[in-house]
Amino acid sequence: MALNDAAIVARVLAGDSDAYRVLVERYRAEFGRYAVAVLGDSDAAADAIQEAFIRAYDGLASCREPERFGSWFFRILQNQCRNALARVRKTVDVADADPASPHRTDALVEQAELAAVLETALGALTAEQREALVLKHVEGRSYEEMSQLLGVGVDALKMRVHRARDALREILGGRL
Amino acid sequence: MRPHDEFGPDAHRYLDGEPHGELRPDDQVRADRLAAALRAYCARLPVPGAEVDDAVMAAVRVRSPERRAPGWRWLVEPRVVRIRPVWVPVLAAAAAVVFWLGPRAWTPGAPERPPIAAAARDTVYVRFELVAAGARTVAVAGSFNDWRPEALPLARREGGAWSITVPLPIGEHEYQFVLDGERWVPDPTAQAHADDGFGGTNSVIVVGPKGVVRS
Amino acid sequence: MRTIRGLLMAALCAATPAGLAAQQAEVRTRLEARGLPADLVQSVTEVAAAADAQGLPAVAIVDKAIEGWAKRVPAPRVVAAVRQYAARLGEGRDAVGAAGLARPPEAVVIAAAEALGRGIGAEQVGQIVRAAGEPAALAPGLVVAAALAAQGLGGERAVGVVVEAMRAGRPVDELLDLPSVAREMQLRGMNAAEIGRRMMRGGGPGATRPGGAAGGAGPRPPGMPGGLPGQGTKQPGGRRPPGGA
Repeated sequence: MALNDAAIVARVLAGDSDAYRVLVERYRAEFGRYAVAVLGDSDAAADAIQEAFIRAYDGLASCREPERFGSWFFRILQNQCRNALARVRKTVDVADADPASPHRTDALVEQAELAAVLETALGALTAEQREALVLKHVEGRSYEEMSQLLGVGVDALKMRVHRARDALREILGGRL
Repeated sequence: MRPHDEFGPDAHRYLDGEPHGELRPDDQVRADRLAAALRAYCARLPVPGAEVDDAVMAAVRVRSPERRAPGWRWLVEPRVVRIRPVWVPVLAAAAAVVFWLGPRAWTPGAPERPPIAAAARDTVYVRFELVAAGARTVAVAGSFNDWRPEALPLARREGGAWSITVPLPIGEHEYQFVLDGERWVPDPTAQAHADDGFGGTNSVIVVGPKGVVRS
Repeated sequence: MRTIRGLLMAALCAATPAGLAAQQAEVRTRLEARGLPADLVQSVTEVAAAADAQGLPAVAIVDKAIEGWAKRVPAPRVVAAVRQYAARLGEGRDAVGAAGLARPPEAVVIAAAEALGRGIGAEQVGQIVRAAGEPAALAPGLVVAAALAAQGLGGERAVGVVVEAMRAGRPVDELLDLPSVAREMQLRGMNAAEIGRRMMRGGGPGATRPGGAAGGAGPRPPGMPGGLPGQGTKQPGGRRPPGGA
């Protein structure tokens, strides 16, 4: 029997802590990719999402709309990811990344190289830009969904994504 | 920034999946390549797996003793368990088994910790690592997870190292690593070892709220 | 809030035969859930019930049995081990009681039993009990002494460090840090005597910094647990930078 978020939250608050696992599995699957893409590191993402779930459990009684646990949890995760990003001061030097090969032979190799360079370039974005870009392009969410999750207006989100794309285009230059 | 280094508005609408006019040719090529690159980037990254679920539930159970303990356990002093996030630094040397804890900053806005009170306890993230290049699977089992070898599998890293980060309540814990589901080995670089009463040796770790204290 | 409810429940459970039966049923369920065979479940349940009747923490006995079975220890050995453990719990409770603690909490009894198992004597357990400034420090004090003893400081030195720290009014948090501090010192090559001295002097984490000429790192003396030969040296380092950079 699949329970909705509100039902599970109610059960957990009533003392059935094991039920929390349903929420953990559900939203780890849903937001795990987001954490990894924003942080660029699966260890850091695992730590961030783990900590976010524990904080969510501790503060579960303060979740005002349990039917929207996912959005509420996402904000906590977003916070953890931002903390993690702030701890990591990556020096972005795209010159260190793989030089663009002038002879593009194998399309797959080329894609892999580009992905590696992209990781470095993403580090140059602001946290908001990176989050918005990941939600749009990695998660494939609509702006309306993103607006619900982030609590930011659609126009502002579009601007973040557009600026992120332009920044990437500039950084990646001839590689694109 | 020169205008032709930016995507035009139609390119953005195209990438947003919205109705758009005709794109400049270079915009079209670059937009497609960027979208493809982002997809490829995403596909490369391993997504956190079920070990996260296990670690979370381990911490949740620590907070809910009445859910797992038999009746007489309620004679034990009550515990108020708060999470105190702890960053876990990992030693650089690859040849040794390492086991570290370390402090990290409080989240701004977190309430001031009270002086050590009888009821206050913390949970601390602890990273277990083992170098075992020949193993197919490695798990950690101990007093903190009811000695279940299947509950906390370590993830394989480069160089034959395996690791997992687990939230543990402060206090003493005994544990061993389990290789390939059946070979129980103590942690060579544990704080201490103790007879397990069955002729074997458990590794011992005493976890304090500050983690490892370093000079 | 939890404790009051817990104590009431425990009192109710213990007071009635139905309560005792319920407890035993929980023990059985737990053991069976972990796959222990019926004979072993029966034996362990009996040991646990006997311990519980004496006011000893039966849950620790069940934990021990589960540990043994998880490690694929043969059933007769598991039974022998839990009986031995039950006896040690009794000794732990006696040692703590002799120091004036009439009804020690479970955690204290368990910690005292562990301490006795690691070479700390009953009288030394008593010293720790008497030196503890607050009830909350009892179990941690015993646990830390047991850990320090197992790390190679030896029972007497370990107890000395803990008693000194308690008398100096060190909070429980600092007590719990002592084994990590001792480990740090071991890695710097200090021997047990030196570690004990430094800890007694400084008492807490501040003592880890080797001072001047006296803090030299020498080869680790043989026989000191804490590392297997051939494991190589560890470099204390900062945080590992996230991969993928």
